[in-house]
Amino acid sequence: MRIEKCYFCSGPVYPGHGVMFVRNDCKMFRFCRSKCKKNFTKKRNPRKTRWTKAFRKSAGKELTVDNSLEFEKRRNIPVKYNRGIWDKTVEAMKRVEEIKQKRQARFIMNRLKKGKQLEKEEAINEVKKNIHLIKAPHAGKAPLFKEKDINDVQIVGLLASV
Amino acid sequence: MALYNFKKIMVVPTAKEFIDITLSKTQRKTPTVVHKHYQIHRIRHFYMRKVKFTQQNYHDRLTQILTDFPKLDDIHPFYADLMNVLYDKDHYKLALGQINIARNLIDNVAKDYVRLMKYGDSLYRCKQLKRAALGRMCTILKRQKSSLEYLEQVRQHLSRLPSIDPNTRTLLLCGYPNVGKSSFINKVTRADVDVQPYAFTTKSLFVGHMDYRYLRWQVVDTPGILDHPLEERNTIEMQAITALAHLRSAILYVTDVSEQCGHTLQEQLELFNNIRPLFTNKPLIIVANKCDVKKISELSEENQACDQLLAHRVNTKIKGKKVHDVLNRLHLAMPAKRDEKERPPFIPEGALNRRKAMEVDAPKRKLERDLEMELGDDYVLDLQKYWDLMNEDEKQDTIPEVWEGHNIADYIDPDIMRKLEALEKEEELKERAGEYESDEESEDEEMQEIRTLAKQIKEKKQLMVLESKEKDVHGPRMPRTATKVEKKQLEKEMSNLGLDMSDKSNSHYAQQGQRSRSITRKRKREASAPPTSKTRSQSASRPPRDQSGLRDGKMVKKTKKMMKNSQRDMNRQARRGESDRHVFDLKPKHLLAGKRKSGTKDRR
Repeated sequence: MRIEKCYFCSGPVYPGHGVMFVRNDCKMFRFCRSKCKKNFTKKRNPRKTRWTKAFRKSAGKELTVDNSLEFEKRRNIPVKYNRGIWDKTVEAMKRVEEIKQKRQARFIMNRLKKGKQLEKEEAINEVKKNIHLIKAPHAGKAPLFKEKDINDVQIVGLLASV
Repeated sequence: MALYNFKKIMVVPTAKEFIDITLSKTQRKTPTVVHKHYQIHRIRHFYMRKVKFTQQNYHDRLTQILTDFPKLDDIHPFYADLMNVLYDKDHYKLALGQINIARNLIDNVAKDYVRLMKYGDSLYRCKQLKRAALGRMCTILKRQKSSLEYLEQVRQHLSRLPSIDPNTRTLLLCGYPNVGKSSFINKVTRADVDVQPYAFTTKSLFVGHMDYRYLRWQVVDTPGILDHPLEERNTIEMQAITALAHLRSAILYVTDVSEQCGHTLQEQLELFNNIRPLFTNKPLIIVANKCDVKKISELSEENQACDQLLAHRVNTKIKGKKVHDVLNRLHLAMPAKRDEKERPPFIPEGALNRRKAMEVDAPKRKLERDLEMELGDDYVLDLQKYWDLMNEDEKQDTIPEVWEGHNIADYIDPDIMRKLEALEKEEELKERAGEYESDEESEDEEMQEIRTLAKQIKEKKQLMVLESKEKDVHGPRMPRTATKVEKKQLEKEMSNLGLDMSDKSNSHYAQQGQRSRSITRKRKREASAPPTSKTRSQSASRPPRDQSGLRDGKMVKKTKKMMKNSQRDMNRQARRGESDRHVFDLKPKHLLAGKRKSGTKDRR
C-alpha cells in the first residue's frame, strides 16, 4: 500500500481515492480528485496552473533544493524487512520532517519579508500625499491675521492722514 | 487433390434464380438512361452493351459450373467409381453436357443480335432487339431447369462425402451387415458412427483417423455387403465394393462368431470367398468379432494389420529406386577416441536424486492442506512464516508502511543515519548563524503613528469612493456651486478635519428665502442678511413648478399622490417614461440555443 502523488497538483492520493489514467504509451497518470483530472483532460499544463505545487516550485515560491528533501525518494529496489532498520528509519523520518517543515516555513517567510518593506514605504507615501483627507493642513494653527478692530490705532492713524 | 475441390464447388442456382440474378445485375451495372434524341450510335451502343453484358454473365457463370464439377476421367478412379455408384455417370455427364450446350447457344444468340443491332435505326427498334435477345437467352436457360437442379443436388452430396485420401495408409473394414465394423471404428478412432441393432445402419462410407507408430492411419468403415452377384447389388453395397476395389489398404474382414448378425459363419465364409478377388495385392486380416459372446481361440489384433501393411509398403518402397537417394543421405557419425581419457555421460545431481526419489517414493513434505485438515477450525493462513528474513523472530511483525502521509519505503536507505547526522549538523550551524530567529523589528513610535494614519487615510478613501458610487446622478452634471451645502454638514465635515468651527463671527452663511407662498410669513428684515448670489434671489421670487397653482398643503399632497400613481406602472415595468417601449430579450438565443461544443462545458 502506497500513498501516491497526484500528477497534476502533486497532492497525496490515498488508497481508495482518485482516478488512474493509462495512456497508449503505457504511461500512468494518477489524479487525486476530479478537479485535477478535468484540468488534465483540458490539456492544461500543471506548471502554469497557479494553484498546483508544480507551479509553486517552478516559480520559486517554495523550497526546491535542500538536503532535507533528498530523504524522501522513490527507490525501486525493495529491502528485506529488518526490525532494526525499520525502527531507525521511522525515528529518522520524524526528525527529518521537523527540519523540513522549519526550513520550508523559513523560506516562505524570507520571501514575504520584501512585501513588508514595500508596505512600510507605501504607508509613508500615502501619509505624505493624502494627509489632507483626514486632517486639514492648517488645523490647530492660529489664524493668519486677526480681526481688524475699528479702534485699532494704526488704522485710525491712516484715516486721519487721508 | 480432387477431394479438396469437392467442397469448393460454387452453389448452382436454380434456373429461375439464375435468370433473376443475371437480369437484375444487368439492370444495375449498365447505364439505364437513354433518350430518343441521342445520337443513333450512342443508342445502339447502349443496347448492345446490355446484350453483351447479359451474355457475359451467363457465360461466366456456366463456365464456372462446368469447371467446378469434377470430370470423372480426371479424378482418382476410386472417386470416379464412387460418383458413378452414387450419381450415375451417364446422367452426370449428360447434365454437364447440357449446360455446355446452353452456354454455346447463349453466346450465339448474343452474337446474332449484336450484329442485327448495328442496323437498328431508332431507339424503339434497338430496344426491341435487346428485348428479344435477352428473352431468348433466358428461355434457353429455363430449359436447363432440371439439369441445374440435378447438379445442385450432386454438389450438395459431393461436399458431404467423407474426405478419404486414396493414397495414404488405410485400413478398410468390411463384412456382413451388423457384425461390428462401426463399433470397431468408434473404439479405435475419434469417429462417431451410428451403431444400432438393425442391419444397414451404416449406409455410406465413414472415415476415422488414428495414430500408430507416430503415423496417421485412415480407418474406413463400409456398409455391410450381402452375398449376391455384382449386378444385383444396390447403391449402398456398391459403395463398399468400390472402396474395396480401389483403395490400396489393409483389409479387415470382420466376421461375427456369435452369429448375432443373423448370418451363420458358413454364409460369412461364402461371402469371403466371393469377394476374394478384390483382396489381391492387399494385406488381409480376418477379424473374429464379438468373441465375448462366444470365445474362439483364433484372435487377431489390429496391430498385426498395421504392421503387415507397413512392412508391405516399406518393401515396395525399397524395391523402388527412390530409396537409394535417401540412403545415401543418411550417415551415422561416431566420434573417434583421441586419448585414453574417460568421458562418461554427464547427468546432473538433481536429476539423479529425482530419479532415485521417483523410484524410492520419498516421503512428501507437509503441505498447508495437511495442516489445515489437522487444525480444522483453528487454522489460520499465515504466509509470513515462509519469509526469508535475517532474524527468525521478526517474521510475525506487522510492518508499518505509512506514517503521516509519507511512505516509509521511500525513506529506507542503508546510510540514512549518516545522512541524518549530516543534516543535524547543518541545522545546528544554521541555528547558530541566526537564520531561524524571528526578526520582528520593533518599530519606533513614529512608524506606528504613520501606520495608523495610513490606515485612516485608506478608510477615508474607501468611504469617499462608496459615497460617489451611491450618488444617483440623473440628468446633467451640475457644478458643485449649484448645489446647496447645509450649514450643519459643513460644520461637521470641517470639525472632522480638525478645524475649529465654533467661532461664527467670520462666517458667511446665506439664509434661504421662504419657499411656499400660501403661508406667508413676515420676514424679519433686520435679522436676515440680504442674499448675495443671483440664483438665490430668483428662486425666491418665482415659485417652483410643483407648487404653482396649488392652494394648500392638502392639494399639494393630492397632486403628489396622483403623480406617483401615474408613474407606478411605468416603474414596475422598468420603463424610463411613457415613451419607453423597449422590449427586453429575456431568453437570448446565443446563450440558450445550439450544441455545447468542446471546451464550453463550463459556461454558455
